[in-house]
Amino acid sequence: MKNLKDKQFLSVFVFLGSLVILFLTIPLIKLFGSVGLISMAKTIIQAEVYNSIFLTLKVAFYGVVFVLITGIPLAYLLAKYDFFGKSLLESLLDIPVMVPHTAAGIALLIAYGNGYMQRFLSFLHLDFIDATTGIMSAMMFLSAPFLINGAKEGFRKIDERYENVARTLGAGRFEAFFAVILPMAKSDIINGALMMWSRALGEFGAVVIIAYHPMVAPVLIYDRFNNYGLKFSAPVAADMIIISVVIFLTVRAINNKKYGSR
Amino acid sequence: MLKIKNLFIKEGNFTLGELSFEVATNSYFVILGKTGSGKTMLLESIAGLKEGVRGEIYCDEKNMTNLSPEERNFGFVYQDFMLFSNMSVEKNIKFSTRFKKIEKSDELFKDLISFLHIKELLKRDVKHLSGGEKQRVAIARAIYSRPKLLLLDEPLSAVDPNLRSSIMKLLKNITKRYDTTIVHVTHNFKEASFLADNIAIMLDGKILQIGKANDVLNKPKNIDVAKFLGFKNIFKGSFFDFEDERKDSYFSVDPNRILFSYKKNDKYFCYKSKIENILDITDHYKVFVKVKKRVVFAKVPKNMFDKLELKEAKECMLCIDEKDIRII
Repeated sequence: MKNLKDKQFLSVFVFLGSLVILFLTIPLIKLFGSVGLISMAKTIIQAEVYNSIFLTLKVAFYGVVFVLITGIPLAYLLAKYDFFGKSLLESLLDIPVMVPHTAAGIALLIAYGNGYMQRFLSFLHLDFIDATTGIMSAMMFLSAPFLINGAKEGFRKIDERYENVARTLGAGRFEAFFAVILPMAKSDIINGALMMWSRALGEFGAVVIIAYHPMVAPVLIYDRFNNYGLKFSAPVAADMIIISVVIFLTVRAINNKKYGSR
Repeated sequence: MLKIKNLFIKEGNFTLGELSFEVATNSYFVILGKTGSGKTMLLESIAGLKEGVRGEIYCDEKNMTNLSPEERNFGFVYQDFMLFSNMSVEKNIKFSTRFKKIEKSDELFKDLISFLHIKELLKRDVKHLSGGEKQRVAIARAIYSRPKLLLLDEPLSAVDPNLRSSIMKLLKNITKRYDTTIVHVTHNFKEASFLADNIAIMLDGKILQIGKANDVLNKPKNIDVAKFLGFKNIFKGSFFDFEDERKDSYFSVDPNRILFSYKKNDKYFCYKSKIENILDITDHYKVFVKVKKRVVFAKVPKNMFDKLELKEAKECMLCIDEKDIRII
């Protein structure tokens, strides 16, 4: 009787779970099925396509590096300290995940595309509109919370007594952080970075407001769809998906193998 | 060696201190107290790991109060080991070499791995060690940094009971072998009596008694310490009809030393009593007896119990030899 009830329970859950898996995978299967390997290969060797995909991967990576440097200290502070306004700050960090992406693009354009900030960026020889700096900003704005929250959860899991012990063994605060805390949180940080990077790769709404050119892959797909139709945009989409999925799964597999699967 | 003067810290509703005590060089000092009495907070304060500590901490006459933990050279071992999971056993032990010069480090390392029996563990991942192995590695790591003072926070609590005695024997030899001083906090009386040269009894953030291990464990200074140390049958002097200066003092009687009889014996303090409750334990009976409106607890060997034919509601004489009445 018990086994029968177990089977019924599992059958219902497996059935419902399968529905969402089908919903998520059918578009991808149909995309690869309709495009075909030959068309994907022919498309990837076009300079415009591989340059666009490479640009997307590269700029998203730069964004991740920038947020690793600035977001990890922030994540550590949020995980380990209580201070006035902490909840507000955490909510502010999550806002980019909630706002429409085009609205985020407009906000970025107003903030950095004119006035003092534009002049400051020009002083640093950085252009914002129709430039990689602008694209990187758009990608970072909407995806940085994935990395910061991932790192924050990683740091939260680490007992502060590890740092205490490291310090009694002669390590200063920076040394204890880099020798013990950061390596112990590495798995969560890498997973957070992967989530940010993959989210940044797909950014379209904010990017297209700031920089139609140089074209990142999502803009190129949109551009080709608008001007030439599905036949010319689908192979670019399939190429972009396959490349990012391969990189994503490889890094995650290495990470999980090295630091244990999560 | 270690001198604590008026140490005070407040965290939330809990207040520690003010505490003042000294620990002699190369001695084994145990702070014995209940869970939640502030023992770990005290160790962390001594190590410089707590913010907002008032008072002064001296080590070999040097004022350590405002030094950071890495400048104090105090080793710390937590009860749940805190081994760095991103490093092998060997790298854990040698962690301190990254930040300071360790005198005769190779010699010390070889001696430590042999003394603590961890040679075969060196290349292992710390995640796959048993509790006893982890604790020996944590102790090795702390000693390898050549600390002047070693702070041990309940170091045996998370270790399998079968392994505790072997680790206790190792701990006992550390002070002289590695020229260090140990401050060890625990709630375990056996650990304290086996290891300590000196003991401090700590309850609710205060040190209630401090002294030689044997003195503290056998001669509690007040009722709170006596109760904490497990002393039973604590009575005021008036219970024994003392009329001299002992009248207002407190006394304790070991339940094993209580005698029963049906006749009064002038050599002893004897009182009319009525048995209220009897519990059968493996090798003796626990007998709860009403005497002068107080309940006295006695442990009676089974052969004596049968001989006297004791049973609940029976009236008899409860007798105590004067030498078995301990003043508190």
